[in-house]
Amino acid sequence: METSVILNLEEVKADLLKGIYQCSVRGLMHSTKWLSELNHCLSHIKVNSYLPREPIVDLEEYDSYLLAKSYFDLKEYDRCAFYIENCKSSCAKFLNMYAKYFSLERKKIDNLNELFAGPDPKLVSELQRLCTELRADYLRGNLDAFCLYLYGVVLKRLDLLDEARQVLSESVTLEPLHWGAWLELVNLITDRAKLRSLSLPDHWMKHFFLAHAYLEQQMNDEALDIYNELQNAGFNGSSYLLAQKAIVFHNKREVTEAIATFRKLRKMDPYNLDNMDTLSNLLYVKEMRVELAYLAQEVSEIDKYRIETCCVIGNYYSLRSDHHKAVLYFQRALRLNPQYLAAWTLMGHEYMEMKNTNAAIQSYRQAIEVNRRDYRAWYGLGQTYEILKMPSYSLYYYKQAQNLRPNDSRMLVALGETYEKLEKVQEALKCFYKARSVGDVEGSAILKLAKLFDKLSNPDQAASAFSEFVNENDTNSGMENKSELSQAYKYLANFHLKKNQLELAYTFAQKCLNYEETKEEGKALLRTIAQKRGLDEDDKEMQFEESSSAPATPKYSNISPRNLNLCYYNMSVNENQSD
Amino acid sequence: MPEESYSEEMKINPDKPVNVDNYRKLVRSYLDLHLYTSALFWADKVVSLSDGEPEDVYWLAQCMFLLKQYHRAAFLLKNKGLHKTHLVCRYLAAKCLLEAKEYNEALELLSCDERESNYSSGSSGITESINSLLDQADNTIKGFPVPSLHSAVLYLKGCVYEALDNRSLASECYKQALKRDVFCFNAFQSLVQHQMLTAWEENDLISSLPITEQCKSKDDEWLVRSVYESLLKKYHSVPPRSVVQTHPRLKGNLDLRVAEAERHYYACNYTECFRITQEILEEDPYHTTCLPIHIAGLVELKKTNALFYLAHDLVDIRPDLAVSWFAVGCYYFLKGKTDPARRYLGKATSLDRLFGPAWLAYGHSFAIENEHDQAMAAYFKASQLMKGCHLPLLYIGLECGLTNNNRLAEKFFSQAQTIAPDDPFVLHEMGVTAFQNTDYNEALKYFEQALERVRQINEPLIADKWEALFNNLGHTCRKLRRFDKALEYHQQALVLSPQNGSTLSAIGFVQALMGNLEKSAESFHKALGIRRDDVFSTSMLTIVLEHLVGESPPYTGEDAPGVDCPSLLEMKPEIPDAQILINRTPPRIADEMDMTDSFQDENNS
Repeated sequence: METSVILNLEEVKADLLKGIYQCSVRGLMHSTKWLSELNHCLSHIKVNSYLPREPIVDLEEYDSYLLAKSYFDLKEYDRCAFYIENCKSSCAKFLNMYAKYFSLERKKIDNLNELFAGPDPKLVSELQRLCTELRADYLRGNLDAFCLYLYGVVLKRLDLLDEARQVLSESVTLEPLHWGAWLELVNLITDRAKLRSLSLPDHWMKHFFLAHAYLEQQMNDEALDIYNELQNAGFNGSSYLLAQKAIVFHNKREVTEAIATFRKLRKMDPYNLDNMDTLSNLLYVKEMRVELAYLAQEVSEIDKYRIETCCVIGNYYSLRSDHHKAVLYFQRALRLNPQYLAAWTLMGHEYMEMKNTNAAIQSYRQAIEVNRRDYRAWYGLGQTYEILKMPSYSLYYYKQAQNLRPNDSRMLVALGETYEKLEKVQEALKCFYKARSVGDVEGSAILKLAKLFDKLSNPDQAASAFSEFVNENDTNSGMENKSELSQAYKYLANFHLKKNQLELAYTFAQKCLNYEETKEEGKALLRTIAQKRGLDEDDKEMQFEESSSAPATPKYSNISPRNLNLCYYNMSVNENQSD
Repeated sequence: MPEESYSEEMKINPDKPVNVDNYRKLVRSYLDLHLYTSALFWADKVVSLSDGEPEDVYWLAQCMFLLKQYHRAAFLLKNKGLHKTHLVCRYLAAKCLLEAKEYNEALELLSCDERESNYSSGSSGITESINSLLDQADNTIKGFPVPSLHSAVLYLKGCVYEALDNRSLASECYKQALKRDVFCFNAFQSLVQHQMLTAWEENDLISSLPITEQCKSKDDEWLVRSVYESLLKKYHSVPPRSVVQTHPRLKGNLDLRVAEAERHYYACNYTECFRITQEILEEDPYHTTCLPIHIAGLVELKKTNALFYLAHDLVDIRPDLAVSWFAVGCYYFLKGKTDPARRYLGKATSLDRLFGPAWLAYGHSFAIENEHDQAMAAYFKASQLMKGCHLPLLYIGLECGLTNNNRLAEKFFSQAQTIAPDDPFVLHEMGVTAFQNTDYNEALKYFEQALERVRQINEPLIADKWEALFNNLGHTCRKLRRFDKALEYHQQALVLSPQNGSTLSAIGFVQALMGNLEKSAESFHKALGIRRDDVFSTSMLTIVLEHLVGESPPYTGEDAPGVDCPSLLEMKPEIPDAQILINRTPPRIADEMDMTDSFQDENNS
């Protein structure tokens, strides 16, 4: 995507109008909405013909079509399908099948007694029958772009992903304006290689697709570039682009930026509920209670029974540690749409909080069923199995999560810890180093590394790691990792004491006094130091008291992760040789 | 005045002939109007008036027959001795005795003159005896063409034999009847419907029929032949397109459409079959030959509610028909309530002991509960009734296989194969048996044959039923260590039957054996998502994940650490679960096959 996006807006607008018409006559509501939104921000562009006058169905089928379409709009799907059962023209054929599909989907939701229950075998077999019907037509080459889309959707529902991908890419090639098909295709791209191998039509819609696909692949910067370019190319007022950008920031963990973008979006489009669940997640992470409560009130006033609303409210209760209620709201969301990914994952988190590992596993698994690229669910699964003391399982899940977010240190740390449990020290070390090198967000990797070295009775390495940890954390004097900090000081004091570097030992022992847990030990240490000092010469005391105010440890401060990396590699090479 | 005329009539000369013909006409017209009592009354008077003319006695007896006074009619005919002089009368008398369930007497009547020639001496004996019976000097009663009458007598004799459970003699009689009158559909139907003949015998029969001689023109000949051929053994001409060409006007004829539906049924194309039967039943809601196929279609498509309604309707209207109770039994079978299912299927078989589908369904009701012995007993009964049908044998073999009696199973399958050599279901089962005997090459051969046959049958789309075949091909290839091929077959099975737990875990196993642990873990996960308590997948997943710990790089972006870890393939002998699978798979296949076969046959009759 080196070339920037240049669009002929008049052509685009004509395309959009055509697409809107094509989608709306087929009852593809979401695509119509999406295209119309896009079209709306091009309202300043003038085109000659507003309504395409292509006939949609054969004249003799037009009456049946009108009747069926009206039933479809009223969600009387079976009735709709009945009236155009024998129609030949492609639009009517599509509507017939689409109505059948919708009828099955709705029955699936209506018949759902229990959230975790598998699919009703009867409905599955009916879906299969629909699939067979479509396949027969497909093999005869009788499917138009929209029917191909439906075939792809059905295939995907039946978990035949490779076929689905193939069929959907055929569909978008034939009709690039159908956003729904692109969207389904995005969900089928499991890795970057697949994205690259896809043959796509050269159409301006491709940019939207690519950006979305990059976003899904966590290639956030690439996505952001395209979105910016699209905004510059004329879609400046598009709320969709704004929301997508907010999601990019969210993925990049640039929380403040993301929240600001969402705020902008809300001002522009106040009654838009799409993506509000993402906003609530951000507010949750930032623990912005008031904001979240306000948002919850606001969205529930707009529409109580939207999945996004349920999700926002669920997050709100979760932040108030009312996990039962939170689960209730996530469940409501899932009753409305069992394919709603975010709610499954969030519900898994809630069950984890409630120590219900079984339900948590089920929720996470459902989330993965819906979308295999949800790294949070994989990570959650890993955590759950960690609690269940099944490290080889949790290792697998953490790996999946890490695979999806290669540069997220949290996954790497989790991986390292699991390796540690499996007594695979080499791998554990590698993971911690990697976590360190990708920017240790939680600052725990170095500590883990230190502890691991300690465990391996490698005091020099441990000490250097600990001191680095101390250096990083001393300045902000955070409340959260107090005990770790105190332990680090204690370790360092003991270490230097053993090495007979009394000055340093003294400094760290002094530090120990600042913490409740290590106060006594610190005093004891100081006493030993004093004793030792009594034996040694004792005229430098004053100097070290000075240096205690500046805890820098010049000797070790130059050990950066990179250096550690190097020495580690030497070590591992040696060990391999010894094997 | 009236008194006067009355007295005048009283004076009629008793010797003056009455116009009996008028009364005869009266009797006929009452018969046509189905006013049998009136007909009987006047027929009786006619007999008196005509002083026992044979023809009049015949009509009197006919009236009695129609009033279901069978014994009376038979006695009348015998009493007058007409059965010795008139073949029609003999026919009627025998018919009456048959209806009165006096089978031995009926048989005696039909073969009375040759008591000395032993009719149990074989078919040639019968032919002779029949011929001599028919060739007797005969006084005809007008209105009955001789060939039809002869054929009717033979058909009747066949019926008597069948009632006496002597099916081979019966079929011989039917064949003779059909040869004498090719239009005698009763005889044709008795032969075809009750599956007395094998496919080859049926073909022989058709080719040996003197259609050419008995038809007036070439067109007639073609018509008769094509109609009969299209009704013959449907699963031998299963590709629905290769249906015999018939007269274009007969395209919409319901009987021929039923045959078409049945072909679709055997090709496992249930939706199409159901569509046709539904159309037929809209035109003729109680079309007898269509109903069993329609019911079978409902069972296949699991349309319980429609079946419920149909069964109620049928039982209300025709409680005397076996098919009505068959529908009820099938409903309960479909609902998984085997006890009532058996009760009603039993009722169906007691109403018509020759109703094969009911016997098979009766067997199925035991089979799904793993009551192998009882299931086998029912299938045996069915196989005795339907000599020309391979399905009972197939099922018996299946049950033998399930009780681990492979040798016996093989025997039954090869018997089934002699009847239906190209049937893919039989080939498939033979493959399963070979698999169980650990003769994988042989198994592969059978499965591939079956697959080829299936491909011929339903082109271009293979019916979903055959998912088991693909999976078994996969299992066999895996055993033969052709992992690529195995994976391919399993994947095809998955296309036919998506979200199938056992297919997914088979895929996972193959992937594990190929050393593709990542993929394998994914497949086992998917399998467990569908079948949560699958022991095999659970233990395999644990093993695979433990291997993955050592094998894969600690995080993405790191190079894989050499090959120092032994791959799963090399370690296979030590994995106890691989052993488990070897023991486990075949019964599972058989299980699936069992499900597959269930009800593929509801409509043999």
